[in-house]
Amino acid sequence: MLLRPQEKVADMTTLEAGTHERPKLVEDNYLTHTTGLKSWLLTVDHKRIGLMYLVSVLGAFFMGGVFALLVRTQLLTPEGTIMGQDQYNQAFTLHGAIMVFLVIIPSVPASLGNFILPIMLGAKDVAFPRLNLFSYYLWIIGALFFVMAMFTGGLDTGWTFYTPYSTDTNSAMGGVIPALTGAFILGFASIFTGMNFLVTIHRLRPPGMTWFRMPLFPWSIYATSVIQVLATPVLGITLALLVVERAFGIGIFNPALGGDPVLYQHFFWFYSHPAVYIMILPAMGVISELISVHSHRHIFGYSFIAWSSIAIAVFSFLVWGHHMFTSGQSGLVSVIFSAITFSVAIPSAVKIFNWLATMYKGTISWNTPMLYGMGFLFIFTIGGLTGLHLGTLATDVHLHDTYFVVAHFHYVMMGSALLAFIGGIHHWWPKMTGKMYNENAGRFAWFLVFVGFNVTFLSQFMLGSQGMPRRYATYPEDAGFQIYHMISTYGSYVMGLGFVVTAIYLVASLFSGRKAPANPWGGRSLEWQCASPPPWDNFAEQPVVGDCYDFTVLEWSEKEQGYVWRSDIPHPDGSPAAESEGSH
Amino acid sequence: MSFLGSVAGTLLAFNDPLVPTSGQGTFWMPESASTQAPFVDHVFDFITVLSYFFQIVITIVLVWFAIRYRKRKGQVNFEDDGPVHNTALELTWTLVPLFLVVGIFYVGMAGFLDLRRAPSSAYEVSVTAQKWSWSFDHPEYGVNQAGVVTVPVGRPVEFLMTSADVLHSCFVPAFRVKQDIIPGRYSRLWFEATKPGVYQLYCTEYCGTDHSKMLALVEVLPEDQFQETMGKLATEYMDLPEQDLPTYALDRLYNRCSSCHSLDGSTAVGPSFKGLWDRTANGETVFKDGRRLSDMIGPGKEFPEPEDYIRDSILVPQSHIVQNYAGAMPSFQGQLKERQVLALVLMMKYLDRMVDDQGNRIESPDLNELDPGMGEVEASAPEIGDENEFDAVATAGKGG
Amino acid sequence: MSQLDINPAHGHDHDHHDHLPHQGHHWRDSKQQFEAGKLGMWLFLSTEILLFGGLFVAYAVWRANHPEIFEYGSQFLDTFWGGLNTCVLLLSSMTMAMAVTYSARGQMKAVAICLVLTLFGAGGFMVIKYIEYNHKIHEGLLPGMYFYEKPEASYMWLPLDEQGREAEAAAALSAEEQSAAFAAQVQLESEMPPAPANAEIWTKSPAATGPEGFTDSKLKVETSELRAFLPDSVIGKVENSGPLLKFAEDTSPNKELHLAHPLQDPERPVNAQKFFSIYFMMTGLHGIHVIVGGIVITWLLILTLRGRFSYDYYTPIDLGGLYWHIVDVIWIFLFPLFYLI
Ligand code: HEA
Ligand code: HEA
Ligand code: CUA
Ligand SMILES: [Cu+2]
Repeated sequence: MLLRPQEKVADMTTLEAGTHERPKLVEDNYLTHTTGLKSWLLTVDHKRIGLMYLVSVLGAFFMGGVFALLVRTQLLTPEGTIMGQDQYNQAFTLHGAIMVFLVIIPSVPASLGNFILPIMLGAKDVAFPRLNLFSYYLWIIGALFFVMAMFTGGLDTGWTFYTPYSTDTNSAMGGVIPALTGAFILGFASIFTGMNFLVTIHRLRPPGMTWFRMPLFPWSIYATSVIQVLATPVLGITLALLVVERAFGIGIFNPALGGDPVLYQHFFWFYSHPAVYIMILPAMGVISELISVHSHRHIFGYSFIAWSSIAIAVFSFLVWGHHMFTSGQSGLVSVIFSAITFSVAIPSAVKIFNWLATMYKGTISWNTPMLYGMGFLFIFTIGGLTGLHLGTLATDVHLHDTYFVVAHFHYVMMGSALLAFIGGIHHWWPKMTGKMYNENAGRFAWFLVFVGFNVTFLSQFMLGSQGMPRRYATYPEDAGFQIYHMISTYGSYVMGLGFVVTAIYLVASLFSGRKAPANPWGGRSLEWQCASPPPWDNFAEQPVVGDCYDFTVLEWSEKEQGYVWRSDIPHPDGSPAAESEGSH
Repeated sequence: MSFLGSVAGTLLAFNDPLVPTSGQGTFWMPESASTQAPFVDHVFDFITVLSYFFQIVITIVLVWFAIRYRKRKGQVNFEDDGPVHNTALELTWTLVPLFLVVGIFYVGMAGFLDLRRAPSSAYEVSVTAQKWSWSFDHPEYGVNQAGVVTVPVGRPVEFLMTSADVLHSCFVPAFRVKQDIIPGRYSRLWFEATKPGVYQLYCTEYCGTDHSKMLALVEVLPEDQFQETMGKLATEYMDLPEQDLPTYALDRLYNRCSSCHSLDGSTAVGPSFKGLWDRTANGETVFKDGRRLSDMIGPGKEFPEPEDYIRDSILVPQSHIVQNYAGAMPSFQGQLKERQVLALVLMMKYLDRMVDDQGNRIESPDLNELDPGMGEVEASAPEIGDENEFDAVATAGKGG
Repeated sequence: MSQLDINPAHGHDHDHHDHLPHQGHHWRDSKQQFEAGKLGMWLFLSTEILLFGGLFVAYAVWRANHPEIFEYGSQFLDTFWGGLNTCVLLLSSMTMAMAVTYSARGQMKAVAICLVLTLFGAGGFMVIKYIEYNHKIHEGLLPGMYFYEKPEASYMWLPLDEQGREAEAAAALSAEEQSAAFAAQVQLESEMPPAPANAEIWTKSPAATGPEGFTDSKLKVETSELRAFLPDSVIGKVENSGPLLKFAEDTSPNKELHLAHPLQDPERPVNAQKFFSIYFMMTGLHGIHVIVGGIVITWLLILTLRGRFSYDYYTPIDLGGLYWHIVDVIWIFLFPLFYLI
């Protein structure tokens, strides 16, 4: 796919011999090291697996996005434009389920994390490479089950699968069991990825890299993995119970059989609330990198940021009941959940302010990754602050299950988590593919996405607080909703256009992009010290670790068109100062 | 809080420019029409103002830094002389939000707890949610409403809600109240409307195909008009012409039978109403004791007319139990007025004109040429039950 | 454990260190690899515990809400088989621990013997479980709606003798008895999910419908009638001699007394089926783990016999042992929860 014939390794002997003085012309990298379909499908190389994840996740994102555009188009008029009730219900269910289970949960950890994390840690691979491949195939199987759900009767339960609707064969469509099975399998893909990263971070850091000298991206992946490992099994068993309930009618959640549907909601949110931090924490890790690297400033308040990730991970387990304020759970329970919900806001606030302080006195490049980074600060603040409206008991009663919630979670999931992912793709694109994308096209597409996004979802806040319920295929004409829906829909078209442009220039860069230097942005963490794209085994020798946010030791090299170690400072690994940039 | 609230109020309380029809709503909130609403709006505005503040500050700082410290053309290398951390500063922006959220939490909670408890004097309406319609019973008046519920202004009203199938949720934006409805349980929701009017009620828990059409209206009336309307609804059958009685029964009375008797021929706890009239008129029904109905109908027999048998089944169901059924039907003696019983009998008789094969209601059934002499049943039936219009008990029992 | 590869065989030869044959190229040394493997295993085990944790919570909630179902249901479990299984598992856990100890000492023959014994334990457990399950399935003590489907499957159901029949015929005349029968039937019905009033007949393709019968309003109604499940002989009796649902116990001395299938017992608590639902779910999931454990042990045994392990490399045995102990511990919880209390 990414191979260009003339780059294939011609001379294996040079390779074998060369360690330090590997000739620059012969490009042995992970893309060209072995060839053939099998060498990809059976690879245990974390970089190839990361890339396969990336392609698959983006594929799923486009699928979910098309459903989103269908949903938006339907809502242009009160009586709906293109779909019937049942089709609409399927459209938003598949949109939500695909976006959550197939896209956003694996997005940053499984694709960027797989690719970058081991290199950042100076490791040759993740701890369990075969488990890594296994979890990728679990993802594929899970995705196939979702596709199957679409064709075995469809899925119309909402991504939350609330009982008794989802377990009643008379009500919900026949795709429920395949979809639940798919989500179950995806859950295990996520668990194995998390386990792998936890062990990798614990055991594979290079000698000099203590916990607090680790870049912030691994920190956030670490916090995420803790949640993945501890929360996902509960989702697994919940989905299994749901399958058994639907297939055998055991009556655990079905009130007609003496079961308790609210129990299901507790089970579900016990996973799914922590899951929202599975989505945002890695994105925050990406943002820490983007902001510091592209501001060329040491990250501000490193340890506060690192600890806040852990704090978020811990608190995230204690707040699930805020999704159930109107479910009939007891008032006292609601009060407790509300109180703890607010505690999550504190570490988030800490991060926001620290990132801002990082930009202070920096040298800020207005390139695409940084635009995504700054966009994140703006969008996440809106998303997070509206979370406060929802966490507050009195107001949530009014806002629950309206478009206000929809707007809130798109601001945090789509606008923050997913756009951070896109920003991260741009940031590491040169590293992963060895090609530079077109910067102006990138800025233009970012602008479309940013504007389109805000137009789409800002209007939904008003829609929601005015009373428009979510999951509605049609709506009353005289409630004044239509104008907001129209604004929202047109915004989503602009955003869609932005993504199409993004896809075009990124793909184009593979064929005609400028060759990427090892360190195009001036990053200090270890991944910028190996070639772009990285060689098969990342580092022939254990790299030397320094302060990964001290950018003053780098300087621009016209020859490389990238950043290299400053000629007037000796390189820590002892090699001669001037040419030490690709230090293997 | 009240100070901030009023600040917020002035900041936010301009009319929504985009929604010409909603006269009283603000930019954020729809029209406010309950005693709870102003409080919720204050809390909302309080948080919103705080959010504006942080959003504006953060955005200004962001844009300012982005421009002030942008990389200039030609600049390739960097000095980094900014601070790396500052514990005092960092503690500040940890603690200030902490205090703020404690405040928000407290305000939100205080109101929430107050608003959960309904005053004991509340006027009670039992609500049944069902895919995809609402049914409202007024036990005090023996009145059932569907699609619209009439409540008095200035009096606390409590909905006692249950669901016949899956989860639903009752949401009235103008009152700022919402409560999920769970099958097999009762959940409560109360409000006190402050101004007469008609307000939209939504189902806000996803419940399948027609979730978005599961709407109803709340009609708030001044006390005297409310009493009047209830009185009218409770006795409307008295004034209805006979050809309207079958539809009246189907729309207003059948919901009490529906848990046991289907309209589409499927058997439930009791026999289906579909074809019941034919079975009765032809005397096909067989009873538990082996007797056939045809032996009992006719002049001088137990039931002079088929109608008498149906009437009897409603008022003294245990006297004849149909084969294969358990006989679980309660008597509706005293709950139904004589004319309502008549309406039910007529409903059975003309059922196939009013519903199709699947048991779905036909929109405007043709009942203009009912058989002549349909009033005879009434004449032949002895009067049972008193005539006090308001004591009808609305607890819909299980039929058999 | 099989999913945790400690031993990734990279198909290339760029290694700059002299790795031991079992060592993946990305490890610095075998100590690092061992520690990583162990950490990974513990993480994996914690997810396993959480997986079961969900079911334990479900059990607790159910039991708290309906203790009577559990008291009633546990009569149908045989403490003898359960206790035997507990012993078998405990012993196998012991032999597994011995295998680990022996491998640390490098006594590979003893390791192999211990693994074989452990494997026997796993097999024995499954055989006993099979016997128990078979019993239950035979007797129609099935989970969920299947519970309602064949009460007649109980092999303990025996026809009444002459005397019993006469007694019944007499009793049939009594109105009281009649109401008892209806009570039983009404109870049965109340346990069936009611068809929503406007439920439509399910017309989707069978592949998409899940189990037939309990939600389709037509079918539901049929199954909801007690008579529909009962064999003709019983129906005859119900009609002729009233609803005496008691069955005659065979009093001949060499036959054991049996409990009735709950459906024939008007005294059973409502929703008695739930006990069997959760019993099958929890022990079933545990059984799957035993099978996986068996596969892992077999794999370890093969590697041991091939001489892959030595006193300085036996990580897989160590980790496999951990897994087996967890499977054991979970059973230690399941046994009292279902059989004893
Ligand atoms: C990435 C995903 C993500 C993230 C990060 C969040 C973050 C938060 N969410 Fe959100 N949420 C979702 C995804 C997410 N959420 C989803 C998917 C749903 C709906 C699911 C469904 O029903 O389908 C949902 C629903 C949801 C609800 C339930 C609403 C309802 O259904 O009624 C609530 C209620 O408390 C809530 C609260 C919060 C809070 C308090 C935060 C906090 O973490 C936010 C913290 C951030 C800030 C506060 C901003 C930064 C701070 C400052 C700028 C400083 C100033 C701050 C203060 C003064 C405190 N969310
Ligand atoms: C990460 C998660 C994520 C992401 C990224 C998105 C992205 C989007 N979502 Fe999503 N959404 C959810 C998660 C997400 N959503 C969830 C969990 C729900 C709840 C579901 C439920 O209630 O069960 C939901 C529900 C939801 C609703 C509410 C439906 C309802 O309640 O009735 C709406 C309505 O506007 C919506 C819109 C959008 C839009 C316009 C985007 C856009 O941002 C999408 C942008 C992407 C693209 C536009 C794709 C680009 C591809 C193309 C442009 C191809 C173009 C091809 C042609 C034009 C031919 N979403
Ligand atoms: Cu009823 Cu949604
Ligand atoms: Cu949440």
